[in-house]
Amino acid sequence: MTAIDANTNKNPDQGDHHHGDHESENPFQAHHFDTPQQQYESAKLGMWLFLGTEILFFGALFALYTILRANDPEVFSYASQYLNTMLGGLNTAVLILSSLTMAAAVHFAQRSKKTMMLICLWLTLLGAIGFLVIKYFEYEHKIHVNLTWGPGFYMPVDPAEATLVGDDGTVLSVVQEDALAVSEEAGKLAAAAEESLPDVLQPQLAPAPAADASSIQLAAIGPGGLSAVDPEAKIAADKAAAAHIEHSDKPHLEDEKLPVNTHRFFAIYYAMTGLHGIHVVVGIVMIIWLIVRGMKGHFDRRHYAPVDLGGLYWHIVDLVWIFLFPLFYLIH
Amino acid sequence: MTGLLLSGFDLVTSLLATTAGAGAVTPANFWMPEGASIQAPRVDFAFDLINWINYVFFALIVIVMVWFCIRYRQRGKNVEFAPGPIHNTTLEVTWTVIPTLILIGIFFMGFTGYLDLYTPPKNSYDIKVTAQQWSWEFEYPNGAKSTDELVVPAGRPVRLVMRSKDVLHSLFIPDFRVKQDLVPGRYTYLWFESNAINDPDDPSDFRWLFCTEYCGKSHWNMNVQVKVFDDEAFETWTKDQARWLDMIDDQDLYFMAGPKLYARCVTCHSLDGSDGSGPSWGPRGGLGDLWARVTNGTGKVDGGRKSDGGKTLADYIGNGKLYGTAEDYIRNSIYDPGALLVSGFGNQMPTFEGQLNDRAIDALIGMMQHLDEFNADGTFKDQERVNAALARIEANKAAASQASMGVTEPAETETSD
Amino acid sequence: MTTIDTPRAGDIAGNPPVGGTGPVDNYLTWTKGALSWIFTLDHKRIGVMYLTGVLVSFLVGGLFALIVRTELIAPGKTFIEPETYNMFFTLHGAVMVFLVIIPSIPASLGNFVLPVMLGAKDVAFPRLNLFSFHLWMIGALFTVLALLLGGFDTGWTFYTPYSTKTDMGGVVPVLFGVFILGFSSIFTGLNFIVTVHKMRPPGMTWFRMPLFLWAIYATALIQILATPVLAITLMLVGLERAFQIGIFDAAMGGDPVLFQHFFWFYSHPAVYIMILPAMGIISDLIAVHSHRHIFGYSFIAYSSVAIAIFSFLVWGHHMFTSGQSALLNTIFSAITFSVAVPSAIKVFNWLATLYKGSIALNTPMLYALGFIFLFTIGGLTGIYLGTLNVDVHLHDTYFVVAHFHYVMMGSALIGFIGGLHHWWPKMFGRMYNETAGRIGFVLVFIGFNVTFFTQFMLGSQGMPRRYYDYKPEFEIYHLISTIGSYIMAAGFFLTAIYLLHSLFRGARAPANPWGGRSLEWQCTSPPPHDNFKVTPSVGDCYDFSVVRWSEEEHGYVIDRSKETDSSSGEGSGH
Repeated sequence: MTAIDANTNKNPDQGDHHHGDHESENPFQAHHFDTPQQQYESAKLGMWLFLGTEILFFGALFALYTILRANDPEVFSYASQYLNTMLGGLNTAVLILSSLTMAAAVHFAQRSKKTMMLICLWLTLLGAIGFLVIKYFEYEHKIHVNLTWGPGFYMPVDPAEATLVGDDGTVLSVVQEDALAVSEEAGKLAAAAEESLPDVLQPQLAPAPAADASSIQLAAIGPGGLSAVDPEAKIAADKAAAAHIEHSDKPHLEDEKLPVNTHRFFAIYYAMTGLHGIHVVVGIVMIIWLIVRGMKGHFDRRHYAPVDLGGLYWHIVDLVWIFLFPLFYLIH
Repeated sequence: MTGLLLSGFDLVTSLLATTAGAGAVTPANFWMPEGASIQAPRVDFAFDLINWINYVFFALIVIVMVWFCIRYRQRGKNVEFAPGPIHNTTLEVTWTVIPTLILIGIFFMGFTGYLDLYTPPKNSYDIKVTAQQWSWEFEYPNGAKSTDELVVPAGRPVRLVMRSKDVLHSLFIPDFRVKQDLVPGRYTYLWFESNAINDPDDPSDFRWLFCTEYCGKSHWNMNVQVKVFDDEAFETWTKDQARWLDMIDDQDLYFMAGPKLYARCVTCHSLDGSDGSGPSWGPRGGLGDLWARVTNGTGKVDGGRKSDGGKTLADYIGNGKLYGTAEDYIRNSIYDPGALLVSGFGNQMPTFEGQLNDRAIDALIGMMQHLDEFNADGTFKDQERVNAALARIEANKAAASQASMGVTEPAETETSD
Repeated sequence: MTTIDTPRAGDIAGNPPVGGTGPVDNYLTWTKGALSWIFTLDHKRIGVMYLTGVLVSFLVGGLFALIVRTELIAPGKTFIEPETYNMFFTLHGAVMVFLVIIPSIPASLGNFVLPVMLGAKDVAFPRLNLFSFHLWMIGALFTVLALLLGGFDTGWTFYTPYSTKTDMGGVVPVLFGVFILGFSSIFTGLNFIVTVHKMRPPGMTWFRMPLFLWAIYATALIQILATPVLAITLMLVGLERAFQIGIFDAAMGGDPVLFQHFFWFYSHPAVYIMILPAMGIISDLIAVHSHRHIFGYSFIAYSSVAIAIFSFLVWGHHMFTSGQSALLNTIFSAITFSVAVPSAIKVFNWLATLYKGSIALNTPMLYALGFIFLFTIGGLTGIYLGTLNVDVHLHDTYFVVAHFHYVMMGSALIGFIGGLHHWWPKMFGRMYNETAGRIGFVLVFIGFNVTFFTQFMLGSQGMPRRYYDYKPEFEIYHLISTIGSYIMAAGFFLTAIYLLHSLFRGARAPANPWGGRSLEWQCTSPPPHDNFKVTPSVGDCYDFSVVRWSEEEHGYVIDRSKETDSSSGEGSGH
């Protein structure tokens, strides 16, 4: 019975409640368990297993990340500059703090300190929501300038809306006369190209360049690859290069250094951070549920398993982000 | 049991074939089809060896099982159940070690055999293979292209340099015991060498090539013939193949070249009016056949990249419209199928830009114009005219070889310009 | 420690011999009404609901198979178009794999038997268990929805880029459905692992567990380790289809072969999710029906776990011709052979168990012996496919089709049906007609071999799989194979009839009709709501020397007087 003893040490008072007859006065003990201890251990093991599946869930994506990065290292070091390290760092801090408050909530729950536990849960909730708000601003900027996945990445950016976040975190407005002029010029050239080229050479533009089975270019699709098919992009890129725009101001499509396949960086970026975001949302629901039950006084030193397990879940969500942050933001 | 005996025989024959070296065709047997490549005997040997090991183990297991079931059957309900042995180290070690050793042996046999299959010899004869739903295209060093058969030279290693234009395909020639997937975005290799010469004049003398990776609706139909020609016949064939379109007189083009080209269209476009993945060329929807629908402008269209909302072809064909003439429409629909779509059909057709030149397009348009002269399977009805055309082709070939004695310049007929 | 005499006194008294009025307290009669089933937390009811779902899916998947086989009875069009044919073989595969075989043993029989066999009152998380079942229902509904939305023709393997390009509307719904089914499977596995770890009663040490529990435990490990990867993979395919993210689609710079790696990383272990529980069932069936201690217990137990671990390392053997490197192919081939050894030894252990037994050829035992026969063929033909150069010839032909049907159907499903016959009296408290059972087995067994053995010949002769039509030289094999499938269908039809008949007209089942020794045979048939009034204590579940026939009970009983000190044991691991 070493397992039980180990656990009892953690919670000295509990020893009183499970010797002798197993009929516990604990209202939260399910009928099919003999002791609350058995129930608690089962729940904890179950949670750890579930977290194991979560790790594997993300692990598949981390494996995918590894493969993509090993195939195109230049894409990752290049594209990472479009991520806002300051906002990412801020989010990391927010999540770590919320993990801390979560741990504190478990601590107070184990000692039956209801008010402190609730305060900590509220703070955790605040952190979780704050994380999502910051993440929303990050996504929004990127979607405005078409730093997205797939064909959307190669859509011309509407310069009136385009704002870019620079490497240092400042938000740069790209509504500059030069840029506008270039963009208009590119538009005209593109229109001209459309008229003058024979039908068969017309670019197969987004939204669905891949829809036509025959349009596969073997080498790659990207500005380099597309330029074979997509004269506008080429013309626009050349023109842009000639217009002496500062590197960090440029929409990605006009950057002649843009590596092939950069859209795949953003595909995996959105897939992983998006999945993580969904987990944060689930975490928020869970914390709210804990707060509601906590306010009803369901947790005390004899029954704190839900807070404990919720805490485990939240730490894993935190942990995943701690891997995501350097792997996406800190690689250039 | 017959299989067992037959396989015993197979083992001996394939051993003989291995020792006899390349050259012979190993006959078909209970399990395997004819082996017609130099790699086949080795694969067959591995197969037969595993067969024999398996027969022995399987017989052993089944005999022991049946024997025990009879010998130790329960006699009556009310019997004592005696405890038997529950463990025997010697026995357990034996039956662990023996299968392990056998499996290691089999692994090495497969591994070394695979390296042979995998590594093409130097100086191989390269043929480019392009797969797309649902056809094959083989391109030879001299520029000749073939879509209805793969012809290879005998007695020298042939390497297929393969790619896919759309989805996964897999090239499988059972008689050669070779198979390799074609992956979009990659090139893959496959090599073989065969001495099993086919008779160029006998159309029934060939081997099958299958697509074995599921690729959609007509996956099952994506198979062509493989023929092995001796050097002389092979050279003649590639030469003819490179300029076959040019050898046909203009007036014969639509019925001599048309059906041959149509062989790539048939998986989607029928001639009898029944729709497949694409609209039939024959009469459909009460609007007549394809040519009638195009020239009358009654064909219904809906959607496509260049659609401006027009509902019939009349809105797109004519002076100042998208397509100046009916021929323009046909040509562009083959080169850029997604531009304008026939009502009720999505854009499934690949482009044939770069695969069909103007002469080939002429042939297809000619076929569409004379659809009533063709059978539903795409063959031409009037055999006499075919024969006459064949004679003219022979004459043209003779004249051409007269003109370029000894020159083996690739004739680039099928590239578009 | 003393033997705590489980439920015998109270419960067997409540289960009178044939002709009695029937037990009052069992899980079937515990509460009434449809809702009491749909929202039950009782693992036994959840098991029965899974069983119903799995059997209905089996019927549907089987009908699809008959459609496919009928189309192939002769060359050319028999009665359906190629598109329809492609859809049916896809549906057959998807339904059989995701809705039938994967949940068949763990979720239905496992749910029913595992806690009883273990001596627990329920699984560790009854609510999660119910939730898994509801997820399963939702996943199944999405599959139906996929049909209504235009079907799907990708093959059950969803290979990209075809699956991201095909214009059939059912692809995304079915991907989502399988995604959900994956979670159902994960939660079931998780539940079982915790149950085995934490719910064992005193005396039930790890090495006293019946081998079925070991197998379920190993399966559950695979379920929770491999299924998340499948879920992510299918999610990525869905994203690829919807948003063209460029991970798998070469047109966007992706790599279709990468999908195959991801897919088989799950789907090869999934083969063991299917076969391991069947092996567990067979171990118990062989021991119980030959009334002999299982030979090499610890080897079988360890080999289950070993197979579970190895199963994660062999996925590449599905891809020998996919264009992956020769080095990878060699490594995967070598590891593949290493999996063959534990499987082979299991067969030898089963044979050794028969030796000097007292073999009763009841229907479940016939299925168990049939399993050994079919699994031997399935396993031995795997050797051809693991051998690199031979696999190049055989890959994606009917040889592969025949091989995995011998393993997945001939072994996994036959094991499931054997287990169903074995525990049927326990589940429903009724005996089926033994003669009908034996005839049904013979039909299924003969039909199966006629159907699939011919497909080995087809494949080695070069007939590719997933073909709507074929060359004339293959005609005779296809004809024989289709006839075989009809025989098999007749066998299953007969089985369905006598099983349904037994529910209403069958003789009352005794607590222990076969002479089993594990705990589930010590509670009534059907078991009471809580399985055991008192947490039971456990002896050696393969010691049959204490099992006696009792005329009075019309079944076997355990003669406690003869029991040696077999029930001693610490509650270690608890």
